Amino acid sequence: MPPQLQPYVQQGLDVVNQTIPLEGYLIVAAIMFAIGAWGALIRRNAVVVFMCIELMINAVNLTLVGFSDYLPGADGAGAGYAVLVIAVAAAEVAVGLAIVLAVYRSRKTVNVDEINLMKW
Amino acid sequence: MTSVGQQLIIAAIPVLPALVFVVLALFGRYLGESAQYVAIFGVATSLVFSAFSLYFVIRAQTPIDFAVNWIDLGPGGSFPMGIYVDGLAAVMLVVVCFVSLMIQLYSGAFMQDDSRFAWYYAVLNLFTASMLGLVVAPSFIELYVFWELVGLCSYLLIGHWFEKPSAAKAAQKAFIVTRIGDAALFVGIIMFWREAGTTSFQGITEAAQAGFIGGSLFTTAVILVFVGAIGKSAQFPLHVWLPDAMEGPTPVSALIHAATMVAAGVYLVARTYDIFVQSPAAMLVVAYIGGFTALMAATMALTKKDIKRVVAYSTVSQLGYMMLALGIGSYTAGIFHLYNHAFFKALLFLGAGSIIYAINSYNLTEMGGLRRRMPITFWTMVVAGLSLAGIFPLSGFWSKDAILAATYEQHFYVLYGMVLLTVFLTAFYIFRAIFMAFTGEPRSEGARNATESPGIMTGPMVLLALLSVVSGWVGIPALFGAPEGGFFERIVQPSALANETLALEGHEFSIALAIVSTIVALLGVGLAYLLYVREPERATSLARRFAPVYNFLDDGWYFDALYERVFVRPAMALGRATNVFDRRAIGGLVSGVGRGTGGIGERLRRLQTGGAQNYALFILLSVLVIGVIVGAQYTVLVIGLIALITLVTVAVGARL
Repeated sequence: MPPQLQPYVQQGLDVVNQTIPLEGYLIVAAIMFAIGAWGALIRRNAVVVFMCIELMINAVNLTLVGFSDYLPGADGAGAGYAVLVIAVAAAEVAVGLAIVLAVYRSRKTVNVDEINLMKW
Repeated sequence: MTSVGQQLIIAAIPVLPALVFVVLALFGRYLGESAQYVAIFGVATSLVFSAFSLYFVIRAQTPIDFAVNWIDLGPGGSFPMGIYVDGLAAVMLVVVCFVSLMIQLYSGAFMQDDSRFAWYYAVLNLFTASMLGLVVAPSFIELYVFWELVGLCSYLLIGHWFEKPSAAKAAQKAFIVTRIGDAALFVGIIMFWREAGTTSFQGITEAAQAGFIGGSLFTTAVILVFVGAIGKSAQFPLHVWLPDAMEGPTPVSALIHAATMVAAGVYLVARTYDIFVQSPAAMLVVAYIGGFTALMAATMALTKKDIKRVVAYSTVSQLGYMMLALGIGSYTAGIFHLYNHAFFKALLFLGAGSIIYAINSYNLTEMGGLRRRMPITFWTMVVAGLSLAGIFPLSGFWSKDAILAATYEQHFYVLYGMVLLTVFLTAFYIFRAIFMAFTGEPRSEGARNATESPGIMTGPMVLLALLSVVSGWVGIPALFGAPEGGFFERIVQPSALANETLALEGHEFSIALAIVSTIVALLGVGLAYLLYVREPERATSLARRFAPVYNFLDDGWYFDALYERVFVRPAMALGRATNVFDRRAIGGLVSGVGRGTGGIGERLRRLQTGGAQNYALFILLSVLVIGVIVGAQYTVLVIGLIALITLVTVAVGARL
């Protein structure tokens, strides 16, 4: 490494090593959640809708983990909740995909807008 | 003190006919025309028991009085159900049972082949039971219960042939008109209860004596009670229902007029006499209403063509006598007249019924010449007519004369003039009816072919005719040397309190007054003979010459027309207005709310698309709105954040 680059590298390392503020986590999580919500609302394919739901769940996980690091009294409880949420999400995916398969078998489609038997 | 056996016997008097009612109401359709035997057995037993009770009362010289607690309100007071039988009540019990028995015997033939024979007998017995219950009641509340039952039964019986619209109307009229009186009576009872804390006659009398109730409040309450009696006893101005009540079967008219219903009003005044005497104003009201009604109804009876209506108006008139007697303080004479009247009035109705049975018409102008064809009916009717007119020595004479004499001797000269005129009119109208029905030539095919009624009808008539002659003899004053002079007076006498309050001076039987009243009555009979037997054309020409007067009397002084204008039509208009208001305003409001809700639902159901994503969208939007509201203090921050998120989402999502 040329010595004249040394200060710049050091500067970069400082930035990386700096603690990321809580707002950073929250903003990323909010964006993830919004993308997930958007997708869940507008996509027609049921599998994609599931993926979007996963995205929302993970956004929530991210906030949990973030808060667990930044709140002094939390004592890492948020991370524990995150693990719980991951387990529940896995179970939910298993059930959900089974429903999607069953719907596909009976109706030959997985488009959510065509599944509207509960209409008025 | 009364033994348990005596208590049971007296309690059985009203209970037996009530029991008969239950049996006949439940099993009447299986019994058919055998229902009459059940009924007659019940009433005959009651009659025997009431004879016992009369004997008990005469022997013991004290009233039979016992009660059980019915409603106990603790400190709020209590309402006992009890029985109080003194001489007055015992005499009434015997009269009611006897007349009812005669009428039930008679009805067996009269009501033959009626489609509701058993029901007729059932109600007849309930009627008798209610009246007997009313007679033995010791308190206003108990009396009121039976009072209403009497009204109900009269409604059912007057409307027995309810297929006829006029009968259905008459039943309603009777019920509604007497209801006016009943309402007043009830208000009176409440006033007494409020002030005296009890509804027993004894208790109220004592409270009034002790001064707990007094003044105008007391007088008002007494007069309200009297209005109840006016309604039931068909006194002016609530007399309009009684003539219309002739739409019922004739034996029912006999029962209503002789023993039950109309007697109830007079009996109420007699029963509460100790209360009445403490209000001189109320007594005067009673006397003048009675005297006026006597005269008014007698004039109305003069021109009637319906034989039953003649007799009906005569009842109104005779009840007026009784009220008058009670009002002027001549208690014994009033009750004596009630007792005599029961027999001859029942007989008059049964006689009229016998004619109706024979020729199937009420109309006097379609009768005539029935004397030879129906001799028993004729002679019994003549006996009843003479008794009603007050001819010596028939029963009606003794009581009527006692009333007249008392009116004169207590210086009510106006009233005396009125009743003396009534005596004349009474004799005239009843013999007008008898002469028109029985003498001359038959005026219709039915009258030509008439035959005497069967023995089961004439039997009770003969028995009643016998009583119409002799029933008054128990009250013959001692002057005539009868061994039991003034027997009736000793059984039925006003209480010591009433005597003291009224402070009447006693009078000897006055032969002069008796002769005057008999002559006046004979004049009435003579005039009727002159006009309807000797020169029947004279009567019609007189009616034509005085047509306005004739119509005025024939339409009952236009009372019906007046009430129609003043009360019935406004009430009907109010009813119609209420009906329209109910249907348009209230009904419109209610169904409008219903329709509005339905319409909103119809629009909102479009929101239920069945698409899960739509629902999710709503949820999201709602959360956002909640977020905005909750975060109102950081409005700018929150809105900015949401806008940012939305923008980014759109930006990213558009690619997805």
